[in-house]
Parts: sequence; structure tokens; C-alpha cells
Amino acid sequence: MGLVHGGDARAFEVIFDRHADVAFSLAYRMCGRRAMAEDIVQEAFLSLWRSDARYDHRRGSVRSWVLGVVHNRAIDAFRSESVRTGRNVSDEAALARLTAPESTEAEVQRRDDAGRVRGALRALPVEQRQVIELAYFGGFTHREIADMLGLPAGTVKGRMRLGLTKLRVGVDESSAQAATIGGGRR
Amino acid sequence: MSGERTDDRRHCAGDVAAYALGALDAAEAQAFARHLESCPDCRRELDAFAPVVDELARTAPRMPAPPSLRSRVLQAAADEPAPGRDAADHAHAPRGLRRPTWSGTRRPLLALGSAVAIIVAAIVVVAIAVSSGPSTRVIRAQVTGPGTASLRITDGHGELILHRFAAPPPGKIYEVWLQRPNGPPAPTSALFGVTAQGRGSVDVPGSLHGVRRVMVTPEPAGGSRVPTHAPVIVATLH
Repeated sequence: MGLVHGGDARAFEVIFDRHADVAFSLAYRMCGRRAMAEDIVQEAFLSLWRSDARYDHRRGSVRSWVLGVVHNRAIDAFRSESVRTGRNVSDEAALARLTAPESTEAEVQRRDDAGRVRGALRALPVEQRQVIELAYFGGFTHREIADMLGLPAGTVKGRMRLGLTKLRVGVDESSAQAATIGGGRR
Repeated sequence: MSGERTDDRRHCAGDVAAYALGALDAAEAQAFARHLESCPDCRRELDAFAPVVDELARTAPRMPAPPSLRSRVLQAAADEPAPGRDAADHAHAPRGLRRPTWSGTRRPLLALGSAVAIIVAAIVVVAIAVSSGPSTRVIRAQVTGPGTASLRITDGHGELILHRFAAPPPGKIYEVWLQRPNGPPAPTSALFGVTAQGRGSVDVPGSLHGVRRVMVTPEPAGGSRVPTHAPVIVATLH
């Protein structure tokens, strides 16, 4: 990242190549339209290119930073343009477009991690998973979700909190189990 | 639902998860961000949630970013000097494109072979006219790898300009070809490489009158009579 701060185009290319797929995946999952997802990812990376003063490496990885920007920009787009159609494309539809599997060890590790998070998400009570997915992937505010589900706003926020807490515990437990199994095999 | 209860710890704590998920509206988020500065409990909870929310992004089904997006982003970055970049690098370079320092070599025209059309037919050619002037127009060429290439045409004569383009493979050099309608690519005397920064430019020999495509292939160092590789650059003239 220091190189990008210095305007090193090659470093920027490396960062793009490393994180573009996951950024595009998130953007497409959120808005369900390729053109819009591309615009969001482009703006996210360009903001990184311009971010001399705003990116702080002590606060997280570049990947987290990029994903955070993608998420925020998608939400901004939703809320500023009333772009509601095509959001929340189904996982099945998106999975149908998956291409060849990744091959590097890092990607395999990432997919393992992603699988653990998916598993923990699926293990949540449906009402907690629902509000988390509507908020995170749908970009809806807690009030919009409350209106949609006919619930008090406080209940929606409470479900979000409980859901995230359980998700954290679930991911931690799953990771610990994987480490134990991995250690046992070695 | 088991485990569901109203948050009774603090009023503010109920907003942490919503804030982490981006589910507060703009005014609420601003107010909560201010609150965070003075509330260590909320900061702790947010720190605990942040990695979980970060992991949520990974649950999105994998979608490869389109190659065209890569080209677009890198070009846009090149067109836009980043903070901290050397101002001199762009002082005389419209759209971030600094004139290269490369100088090419020349060789005599060579004859054609018959395998050319097969190779070229496999290439999808899309060229976009990106600007025009009274006597100059610039065509952005289709490239097969990283970097960009443009064909600048002035009074019927062309100049290829490469930016952040990969060097030819070891022992190879780039060769320029011209293709007229219904004809195979014709070799030119233009052989060239790129700088370590991926910059390069080369004059396209002769007139472009009647030329349909300008193409570039990597070839043995002395050039080739027929293309031995698929084109890495294709600029289509309309």
C-alpha cells in the first residue's frame, strides 16, 4: 500500500489483480447487475488510488478496505438512486455463472474460510440471518427492514446484534475445529 | 425465538450491529460515529463485529471480475495522477500518457504466408474511437493482456502508443501488421519493444488508406514473414 501511496502504478495493478474478483463478487451479489457492479468496483479502486490520506493500514487489510468501500458505494448507489430492481440476485443465479475453480493455495484457504462463514450464517436462526442479509447485501436500513417485516425497529436491531454475535462465535468455533482436524492429520 | 431479547444493556449498544452492517441511515450513522468517540463499550463491540462483517463479503458467490474492467480501471488510474506522484511525470502528458523514450528498429518488408487468416479470424476485434479532431483521431485498440494501446491517426498516418504494456517474451519483439478487407495481414518494417515501465510507441509505416486493421504480434527478434502468434493488439479502423 505504501507504493500506491507513492503513485506506483505497478503496485496498484497488483492490488487490483489480487482483490478485484472478491470485490466484484460482493458488488454483484449486492446489486445483481453487471454494469452497476463494474461501476462500483471501478470507483472503489479509483478511490484507493486517490486515497493517499484516507487508507490506514493499521486499521485492517487492503482487502477489508476495498470490500468496505465497495459495500459503502453500493449502499450509496441504492439510497441515492432508488435502484431497487435487480438487487439481491439469488445465490443460485450467481453460482451458475461461476467459472473455473481457483488453483492457488491462498484461494483454497479463502474458499475454506468462506465456507465456514457460509456455514455459520446458515446455522443462524432464520429471522437473524434474514435481517443480516437484508442489511448487508440488500443495503436496506433497519427502518426499511422493519417496515418490510412488520417489526419494531428495535427488534430488527436486536436481531442484527444477536445474529452477528452468534456468527462470530460460530466462525470462531468452526475455525478452531478446522485447526484441530488439520493438526490431527499432521 | 430462543435467545432473542430486547437489548437492555445500553440504549446505544443496539445501534452497533446496525452500524457495522451499514443499516443506519446517513444521519443516524453520523450521529453514531460521533457517539463512538466517547463510548468505549460501543467501540469494543464494534471492534468485535467488524471482522465478522468483513467475512460476510466472502459468502458472496465467486464472480470473476471482467477483463475489460481491469483495463478500464488501470486506464482511469493512469489518466488520473494519484497523490504523491511526481508532477513532472504528467506535466506534458495529456490523459496521463507520457511520451515514451523507446526507439524502434526497422527492417525490410517481408512476404506473406497463408496461415495468417486463420490466426486473425480467431480474434475478436473491438475498437472504440475515443476522440477525434480536425485531422487527428485516436482509436483505442483491443488488447489481450494488461495495459492499453491506442492508434493515433494523423492525415492518414498512424502511430501506435502503448501504455503499461507487457514486454514481449524473451527473444521476441513486437511486429506491426496491416490488414486490408478480405486480405491476410501484411508485415511492416515496424518492430519494437517497450520500456521497463511498459511504454512504447512506433510509427506505422506507410498510409493507412484502405487498411481495415492494425495488429501487433510477438515475433522472433528479426521479425517474421507471417504471424507466428495471435495478435496482442488489434485496432480496427472504421
